[in-house]
Amino acid sequence: MLSQSEKLSKLEEKKRILALPELERPRTVRLKFRKVGSLQYISHLDLQRTFMRVLTRACLPVWYTKGFNPHAKLVFSTPLSVGAQSEYEFLDLRIDREMSTEEIMKRLNRELTEELQITEAYLPKSDFSEIAWATYEIEICTEHASEALAEQMTKVLTTAPLLLTKRTKAGEKEIDIVPLIHEIKIRFNENDATIGISATLSATTGEFLNPEMLITALKRECSIMSGDPMKEWYTILRTSVMKADFTRFR
Amino acid sequence: MNKNVSNILKAVSKPGRYSGGEYGQIIKDKSKVKARFAFCFPDTYEIGMSNLGVRILYGVLNREEDVWCERVYDPWLDMQEKMREHHLPLCACESGDPLSEFDMIGFTLQYEMSYTNVLNMLDLAGLPLRQSERDDSMPIVIGGGPCAYNPEPVADFFDLFNIGEGEEMLPELCRLYIQMKEEGRYTKAEYLHEAARSIEGIYVPSLYQVSYNEDGTIKEYTPIYDDIPTTIHKRIIKDMDTAYFPEKVVMPYIETVHDRVMLEVFRGCIRGCRFCQAGMIYRPVREKSPEVLNEQAKCLFEATGYDEISLTSLSISDYTQLEELCNLLLEWTDENMVSLSLPSLRVDSFTKELMDKIATVRSSSLTFAPEAGTQRLRDVINKNVLEEDLLRAVKVAFEAGKNTVKLYFMSGLPTETLDDIAGIAELASHVIDAYYQTPNRNRAKKPQVTISVSCFIPKPFTPFQWEAQDTFDQLAEKQEYLGSKITDKKIRYTHHDAKVSRIEAVLARGDRRLAPALELACKEGFCFDSWDECFDYDRWISVLERTGIDPAFYANRVWGLDEVLPWDIIDCGVSKEFLRKERDRAYAEATTPNCREKCSGCGANKMGGERTCCPKAKN
Ligand code: SF4
Repeated sequence: MLSQSEKLSKLEEKKRILALPELERPRTVRLKFRKVGSLQYISHLDLQRTFMRVLTRACLPVWYTKGFNPHAKLVFSTPLSVGAQSEYEFLDLRIDREMSTEEIMKRLNRELTEELQITEAYLPKSDFSEIAWATYEIEICTEHASEALAEQMTKVLTTAPLLLTKRTKAGEKEIDIVPLIHEIKIRFNENDATIGISATLSATTGEFLNPEMLITALKRECSIMSGDPMKEWYTILRTSVMKADFTRFR
Repeated sequence: MNKNVSNILKAVSKPGRYSGGEYGQIIKDKSKVKARFAFCFPDTYEIGMSNLGVRILYGVLNREEDVWCERVYDPWLDMQEKMREHHLPLCACESGDPLSEFDMIGFTLQYEMSYTNVLNMLDLAGLPLRQSERDDSMPIVIGGGPCAYNPEPVADFFDLFNIGEGEEMLPELCRLYIQMKEEGRYTKAEYLHEAARSIEGIYVPSLYQVSYNEDGTIKEYTPIYDDIPTTIHKRIIKDMDTAYFPEKVVMPYIETVHDRVMLEVFRGCIRGCRFCQAGMIYRPVREKSPEVLNEQAKCLFEATGYDEISLTSLSISDYTQLEELCNLLLEWTDENMVSLSLPSLRVDSFTKELMDKIATVRSSSLTFAPEAGTQRLRDVINKNVLEEDLLRAVKVAFEAGKNTVKLYFMSGLPTETLDDIAGIAELASHVIDAYYQTPNRNRAKKPQVTISVSCFIPKPFTPFQWEAQDTFDQLAEKQEYLGSKITDKKIRYTHHDAKVSRIEAVLARGDRRLAPALELACKEGFCFDSWDECFDYDRWISVLERTGIDPAFYANRVWGLDEVLPWDIIDCGVSKEFLRKERDRAYAEATTPNCREKCSGCGANKMGGERTCCPKAKN
């Protein structure tokens, strides 16, 4: 219950923070975080709600919107679908009192589990709209995994057109996903008989390619994952996001 | 988490129900604990995670260093289907270990319609349903909660029941288990016998034989040992200020039913409505002090980050120090953007001052429970609410700009006539009139009154425990009649399904002869019977028929005042004599003062307790 070395209760700590002078203008702090393990099953909305409570528990000087129903403003980067993990998520938060980014990160991580941890906190110089690409590591355990299957998969995912239905707000539409794949490497891992995919996929708002679409395509074209679901599985891990020039987004 | 189940989690709705990993969950080293306890809530994760009792007992058990208590919920239908298809057993949230590996499994029985979920969960765990078929290597199955006051319909499936509040009983049961294991003298039979003999409040149904009369009523209960109690007395926590309270909460990631701090202000209720089981079984009232509550609220806020604190107790405005408590809380809640909510407000306590103080009272829609449409019937049920109180309360609300009110009623109450039903419609239209009589009302809006009518269900340990439930046709007729009396479009009318209430009545007053029916229901896949989409009346009737059960015997019969009741084996603190007197007073249309006005000698004072409203018991 005691926060900090000063041994203030959280409520006292909140009081102390409130008494600090207000910043001239709210300051945006960027949090890079990891969302893995059981957290992959938590939807975006639930994650948002979770962060609201975590911010309160962490006693951060969060800036709240004024008005009838004050709330913290949280802005998340590229969407991550349920069932995908990530080492590379971003969240922008606004504060209105002085607190170092190291302190913010420390306080937040105390209130989070291993599977949801802040890995960096800093003052951003870029905008989420600059995000153009995301890289993924996909691991597939399927019956009949082999060198040949890996090759067949490579062919499928690099031969245009590869048409898939994409669900958008405006309804369903057919898209060719090959142009949205910048780079793809598929290998067969002999020791555990799995297939590993490293992929760089489009992550712009307009042309976001959900890595699940690769699985959907492979299921259809290579009939993978059609055996016993208790023996077959796949995992998706986002490993980075990049700008249009393929430098890492920060 | 196992990669194998990832395929399944990706294919079911709301996988966050099953993935675990919540902040605040308690993980212990399996090799170092001596008893593993699976605390099962026989409904969905979202409902179970919101239950205050579970939060308390989870903490109480885990406070014991060598006990590890984990949580288990009933998986939703799509998940169950996958589990059965792939032979996946039911597992606990924290460790992911199957239930069969646990030493003890505890079920909280919150409502009768969850009984099928209990059996469903045992079945998903791969355990035999009947306690007689589970051997020494299998977990002990424990039941508790309000339905354990008449545990008889599910008695054959449980090894033992906790009667009353479990905060002390459950750790005692674990200690006894560990002790017997360490001394090498554990057998299930020995354990059950010793628990029944040495721990107050423990009911082991298999140690009592039941015989029946020719007319189907119960003849007697006979203990099979001389050294076990002939009546099981409920346990209570005497001093609520010092009672265990969970400083940490497991924080769900997904949205649950109550995502807020729940502050238990007191236990019990001073009112004594004659249909209400909670008002009797939780007696005597025991309050917490405002200072203690304030500290607990702060602690919970700090541990959870929730932005709402709900004062949860049966009739919150009966708390003697509500004003002090609210003032203490408001000292820090407002500046931390935490709102207070007071469910269960009575009309006579609804004032302008309260409304000004409590934001949620201001913002949320208003709900009152007059329960009956005429003063006569309200007197019969001892709901001491006057029409003028109700109208005064709604006027306060209308003046503050509100325009909607929700009113709860019950139909099928003893002595009810069609006049009483018509009274519901009249009361609703008086509320509409009150709106137009309020000069400072919100003139831009039209008033809206919603009346929600449930069906009376005779419940054990109430003055109406002997009464007959209306037949299905009678209930349907009354529902229709009420519908015909409501002509104003500003009045919305909804009613509960009389079919569910009928099955609930059978289970509420059921005895051990219902076991085969529940067993068959489980075999045929019944579960989530409190959910509209799952409940199927015709299938229930068919199951009852095929197991030789006449639902009318349990639901629609007037039970004899001298009859041995299935729950006579249990002493809930309130005497049968008192219940009988209250029943007589109901028929005489006489009200009984609440416990604070005058003690009516219900007998619960013999249980003791701090900050109660009872006179000291003479020993
Ligand atoms: S003993 Fe008297 S005051 Fe106490 S609960 Fe019973 S009726 Fe109420």
